[in-house]
Amino acid sequence: MQFVQFVINGLMAGALYALIAIGIVAVYKSTRVVNFAHGYMIMIGAYLYYTFAVLLPDASWAPAWLSGWTPEWVIAGKNSAKMFSPAAAFYDWIPNIPRIIFGLVCAILGSGLLALIIERFLMRPLLGQSNFSMIMITVGLISVLSGFKSLFWTGDAASVPHLTPNPAFRLDLFGTPIFIFGANFMSMIMAALIFGFIVYWLRHSSAGVAIRAVSEDQSTAYSMGINVPRVFAQAWLIAAATGAVAGAVLAARDGVSPSLGLFGFSVLAIVLMGGLDSFVGVFIAAMLVGVLEALVQWQLGGTWVEIAPYVAVLVVILIRPYGLMGHPEVERI
Amino acid sequence: MIIGNRKTSYLEDEKILNNNYKKAFVFGMIALAIALPFFADDYTILMASLVGIMLIAVVGVNVVIGYTGLLSLGHAGFVAIGAYSVSIIHNLLGEWGVPDVLQPWLALPGAMGVAALIGILVGLPSLRVKGIYLAVATLSANFIIIFLIEIDTFSQWTGGRLGLTTPDPNFFGWVLDSQREVYALIAFCAFATILMVQNLFRTRVGRAFIAIREKDYSAEILGVSLLKYKLTSFAISAACCGLAGAMAAYFYAKVLPEQFELALSLQLVAALIVGGMGRTMGPVFGTIIIVLVPEILKISMGAMMGSSIEAAQLRAPIQEIVFGGLIIGFVLFEPLGISQIMDRFFRALNRWPFARG
Repeated sequence: MQFVQFVINGLMAGALYALIAIGIVAVYKSTRVVNFAHGYMIMIGAYLYYTFAVLLPDASWAPAWLSGWTPEWVIAGKNSAKMFSPAAAFYDWIPNIPRIIFGLVCAILGSGLLALIIERFLMRPLLGQSNFSMIMITVGLISVLSGFKSLFWTGDAASVPHLTPNPAFRLDLFGTPIFIFGANFMSMIMAALIFGFIVYWLRHSSAGVAIRAVSEDQSTAYSMGINVPRVFAQAWLIAAATGAVAGAVLAARDGVSPSLGLFGFSVLAIVLMGGLDSFVGVFIAAMLVGVLEALVQWQLGGTWVEIAPYVAVLVVILIRPYGLMGHPEVERI
Repeated sequence: MIIGNRKTSYLEDEKILNNNYKKAFVFGMIALAIALPFFADDYTILMASLVGIMLIAVVGVNVVIGYTGLLSLGHAGFVAIGAYSVSIIHNLLGEWGVPDVLQPWLALPGAMGVAALIGILVGLPSLRVKGIYLAVATLSANFIIIFLIEIDTFSQWTGGRLGLTTPDPNFFGWVLDSQREVYALIAFCAFATILMVQNLFRTRVGRAFIAIREKDYSAEILGVSLLKYKLTSFAISAACCGLAGAMAAYFYAKVLPEQFELALSLQLVAALIVGGMGRTMGPVFGTIIIVLVPEILKISMGAMMGSSIEAAQLRAPIQEIVFGGLIIGFVLFEPLGISQIMDRFFRALNRWPFARG
């Protein structure tokens, strides 16, 4: 029964997809822009995390507290812990805490700044213009972001510290052994919590209500006293912050490499599959695609995984044009 | 000064080259294209051929995006289909013992036909969705096509990731085995494609496309069958891209799957935006800019920084940034592209020294 193992792997991957998808859905809901370059923003976030969590603390002039935090009890605990036990993984993780926090905060701030620049100088001039122009701007952004990435960081894949301890657990479920990596499991929990928080926040905070009002009708929202440009900026900030966290998690899982940008396209497929304006639909779609990918990997092998989301979205679009739970666009002639 | 258009017959009104500027420009370009292989150096021929290949594809993209208003980000897939099917058909015909002289006459239409069929298949979602949904559907199709070319299952025909060695076509006993000779074929096909597509928009089919672009439901109410014309649009455009792919296969010694990935799709759309959508000359201006700007950058950076390794490392990222910047700049400041700039220029020229703009 390897089935359970692969479903669990799929759910863990799906949660990450959901975390990335928040960015696309939040921006779409408030500004009606589908961000094709979101994957590349995540890539920039991952590279920022790499810079501030690996390159900077490892530099010779970096302060000692940043490059490692090893109080007495950690060394004692490490010596007493068994090899490969959860405790050992925990004690391995403790010295990395300063650099993880520093890296994550800087990545979120950096991506946020980038998102604000994009929103202010590229998106706002096009307010009220056709959808096509907005899409093409984000398509142009793909090249610009990936160009800047190779300008600042040379292209080789590198590894970064995990956000959480990474012990390997071995469970026995109905007599079948199941392996789970602690970091993957923790990032699933984290992604689900962030997703839940954002959805709750959109539903119950006044800022969330403002975002929903703008998504309903921009000009009415304006006339009701909502600061529409501020709502746009907020949506882009949400996208940037969740994107930076997702970038850090992905970078720890797969290594930092330019191919992180392509991730955005499969997530775009997932978002369309779930319905562009429905957080719940997107969450379901992300989990479905995660599990689907894991099952494809199990049955057909690793190479087929890369097209699984695209095939899935084509099938769903042909059956339900506006995704699993999306609202059809009503047009007047 | 032009103060109006005096036409005395319908025939005159329907002409493609309906004024002297157009006539002079088109015949001048034809003369230049014919003269080029006799005096130009290899580098110029290479650039002209690249422009020609891409021009054919961008003209095809213009049919779908510019005239029919369906946003597609997957046209590189059709170029790939054209390039691979022309090579595969050549190989098959060779195995069956068909004489070399006949092969291109079967392979070229064959490649365009295959591309058109795949185009219809990829265009199917356009019947149910549009805008962003269609963009992602076509993007997915591009990924899937490249994936199918790369996997081991078909690699005995496609060569997989290692690429496929392409044939040299034999026209009337003349084997086109140098780039200069293939350039002649490319130039001919590019002119033919532009004229055919331009002609398309004097016909019922072309007018139906434009009606769909303006508002598809209104077009349907007026009796334009969306099913028929949206798929026709995809088929025509995919056939053009297939032709471009076939030219690329003849031009290069080898085709590789990564030549036809998303980056090429974006280049095609970028060329269209820079040049101007839904205009005959749009693809021409756009392709020239998109192909030549990286070269100009390369040359000017080489002049400024010498041929050091650092300069070479900087070149690719800067080319990428400039490419993205071109798309963003044109969408923000001149959404109708270079065609619009040229229009304004010629209008000012015509009316000089009177009112401008």
